[in-house]
Amino acid sequence: MAKAELKIIGSSPARLGGVERVVGKGVYGIDLMLKDQLHGAILRSQYAHAKIVSIDTSEAKKIPGVHAVVTAEDAPNVRYGRSYIDRHILARGKVRFMGDPVAAVAAESPAIARQALKKIKVVYEPLPVVIDPEEATKADAPVLHDDMPLPKTIPADSGMKNVCGHAVVKVGDAEKAMAEADVVVEEVYETKMIHPQYLEPRIAAAQMEPNGRLTVWANAQAPFPVRQETAKTLGLPLNNVRVISAGLGGGFGGKGSGITSGAAVEPICGLLAIKAKRPVMIVLDKAEETISTTIRAGAKMYIKTGVKKDGTILARTGKVFYDAGGYSGFGVQAGGRCTNMLGGWYLMPNCHIDGYSVYTNKQVCGPVRGPGGPQAAFAVESHMDSIAAKLGMDPTEFRLKNMPKAGDKIVGVPKLRDVSLGETIKIAKEKIGWGKVKLEKNQGIGIATGSWIESAGPGGGSIVKVNEDGSVTVHIGKIDMGTIPGFGIPLIVAEELGIPVSDVTVVNVDTDASPWDAGTVGSRGILVSGGATRLAAIDARNQIFKMAARKLEASPDDLEIIDKQIRVKGTPTKSVPLATVATDAHNVIGEVIGRGYCDNLELMAEEKAHGSSQPFTTHACIVEVSPDTGNVKILKYVAVHDIGQPIHRAAAEGQIEGAAAMSIGQALCEQVVFDQDGRTMNPSFVDYLMPTINMMPRIETTLVEGFPGSGPYGAKGAGEIACVPPMACIANAIFNATGVRINKLPLSPENVLRGLKEAGKA
Amino acid sequence: MSVTINTKINGQSVTAVAEASTSLLEFLRDTLEMKGSKLCCNTGECGACTVIYNGKPINSCVTMAADANGAEIVTVEGLADGNNLHPVQQAFIDTGAVQCGYCTPGFIMSVKALLDHTKKPTPADIEDAISGNICRCTGYNKIVDAIHLAADRMAGRA
Repeated sequence: MAKAELKIIGSSPARLGGVERVVGKGVYGIDLMLKDQLHGAILRSQYAHAKIVSIDTSEAKKIPGVHAVVTAEDAPNVRYGRSYIDRHILARGKVRFMGDPVAAVAAESPAIARQALKKIKVVYEPLPVVIDPEEATKADAPVLHDDMPLPKTIPADSGMKNVCGHAVVKVGDAEKAMAEADVVVEEVYETKMIHPQYLEPRIAAAQMEPNGRLTVWANAQAPFPVRQETAKTLGLPLNNVRVISAGLGGGFGGKGSGITSGAAVEPICGLLAIKAKRPVMIVLDKAEETISTTIRAGAKMYIKTGVKKDGTILARTGKVFYDAGGYSGFGVQAGGRCTNMLGGWYLMPNCHIDGYSVYTNKQVCGPVRGPGGPQAAFAVESHMDSIAAKLGMDPTEFRLKNMPKAGDKIVGVPKLRDVSLGETIKIAKEKIGWGKVKLEKNQGIGIATGSWIESAGPGGGSIVKVNEDGSVTVHIGKIDMGTIPGFGIPLIVAEELGIPVSDVTVVNVDTDASPWDAGTVGSRGILVSGGATRLAAIDARNQIFKMAARKLEASPDDLEIIDKQIRVKGTPTKSVPLATVATDAHNVIGEVIGRGYCDNLELMAEEKAHGSSQPFTTHACIVEVSPDTGNVKILKYVAVHDIGQPIHRAAAEGQIEGAAAMSIGQALCEQVVFDQDGRTMNPSFVDYLMPTINMMPRIETTLVEGFPGSGPYGAKGAGEIACVPPMACIANAIFNATGVRINKLPLSPENVLRGLKEAGKA
Repeated sequence: MSVTINTKINGQSVTAVAEASTSLLEFLRDTLEMKGSKLCCNTGECGACTVIYNGKPINSCVTMAADANGAEIVTVEGLADGNNLHPVQQAFIDTGAVQCGYCTPGFIMSVKALLDHTKKPTPADIEDAISGNICRCTGYNKIVDAIHLAADRMAGRA
């Protein structure tokens, strides 16, 4: 559809669900109160690595007000996981990180539950701990999972240990091409673990119904995978488990990907409810969240690039050690993505990178906002500036020299459809004043680009029901955490059915009623549910036109809907209200029910034929570095993004600005700190620093249009890509200001000052 | 040990009994079942639980419920006049500042406290007023836009 024809797509009407949120209605999971509910609590390992010798729950069970105490023995001996099926809902025989759940209780009050946890006697036999993912692969490292084999691609005589994922990028002959390079730059980059720190803690509530079914309320991003994994780990058939999405106060991938991300709080709660024969609710506290739920993993990345004198990249080699944590979680997928992205998104004729996802005695890697991407981009885009400096080239000219164009391939993408990367660089340069702005002493300017995956992935459906008054009720499988149910979906329905946004309701996910969905993850809301809803709305419109055509004695092809009226095009007086047709449907087909799907095979075929339309971005910033304290202040920050056609403009901007803020936090201050025993040193918000208004610049966002994506109306995903460039962007500006390259995050005063001192500049 | 608390919440007199160790946030959410004020860090760092206490914004998670005795408390539930939202609430919706919305009640209370006294806040005033509130969704742009819009509407400038 041509842009000029769009009526409401691309505007910014009020979010659905806004009023209840600003007046303080209890729309979130944490606001739930089930009748007669017990309070659940989880006992967590105090060792990062230990054998469980025995667990004695007898004293805990005696406490008045305690209704259930459960351990692994109370649940089926069934493991869950995504690639490696390596985890029980409660630790069985061994704990692998501090925070691993060992037992759980349900009691009349939170205080009694806490008291009961203290009475559970666990005897541990401590084992050696390994914290660093590269060290964990070595011959002398302790083994976390005795029964998990190495990936098949790793030779048996390699001597490697604890590897649960191996990704290989091999393009051309990188070693040969490297030998022919004029200039070779070799560096090592390292990022640390950060926690997604959604503000609403994880909850789960569960109750057995009189008919023997288990109802679970979850503030999870993926209710259907939660249902599947809960049913599997509790030994229940799928039709006897119902998962209802309790509203989410943020997720950022930390509440994504089924119970692998929730540290199994849903099945543990279900198990308690079954044993106690009462409804149970578990609310994690923030410190417990920080040590036990899934995180954005740290990565150690070796990167080496050979270039010609004129700046043409010839070859890249590299190695990635990606920290999966105590269990594989999402570590295999995220580590693979990190490995791919270490190849960059420029022309790369020869490339060889090995990436290892590695078990360590830390909490588990989740699909946190752009899994693998921000880490890789910190290395790739810092490295690009290091190469440019060695060549004596302007960093933007060096990037433009290696720019792919339509039809080219980049690492991980066989064929690009159109490439907005150069355009985003050009606009970012203009906005930041590249080469023009006068920098004061200790100030520097930096730029970094990014890309993110599109299209291939799970499909999804949408159901659009037209009510008797012409209002519409939509069922999709994606949840509302400031994402499409409140923003994009109503616009799409309004666009196609000629009704106001306020006439659209999007139903909260209930696995008994909603279409299956993999979850609100991977920047796929618009692509999957947006695309499916557009087709469902068109299907509904076709049904309406077929019925209206009889009344209006016209061809369905000659009809249009404007302002809730179905009219004959060109003869506006010949019309019938949408409400009339929807009501009269009772006597025809019963109800107008439009259905639509996002068909993943179709998307992939389209991509194979015409190439993939990637979103691209360039961020640029100006910083001031204090040579006395090492403090970095961001003075100006611009974010230029191609996300195709924006659907809800303010929501798209908000996604970009929030994602950028999360990575600015990782750049400047955020990290989960561990001691050598694997204990988290900063579990509370007192010690875990994240960006407040004081350290955030105003992010100046520009949306570049004219590069349509494969989503509805040419949209592309927007939720994650802005996480990709900020760390390198800021590191490059620090390099520009000081001449010092900081290879390890965070770019905190401590680390920057150390870098300056080592270079003799402070 | 239980204590009896006599307080005024959103203009209504309230008398209730709570454990002496109860925080004001627990008193609001669990005893009175007012779920608008949000639980997050429970250490006074994130501002999600902000309420106005005798005219000043405070973190209710680190305030004892007993301290509400004799005090006047305003929570996010007390701002709208029937179906008419308070200008700060309306501005948060209109600028797209409500993404997941979990931090929103706390921000709204901090901003209301600011705008009760300051007709045209400077960037420094705004930074001061919301520096104790964390938002993970927005990057703060649209929240700052909402504050300016609310201030302009309340002063008749928009």
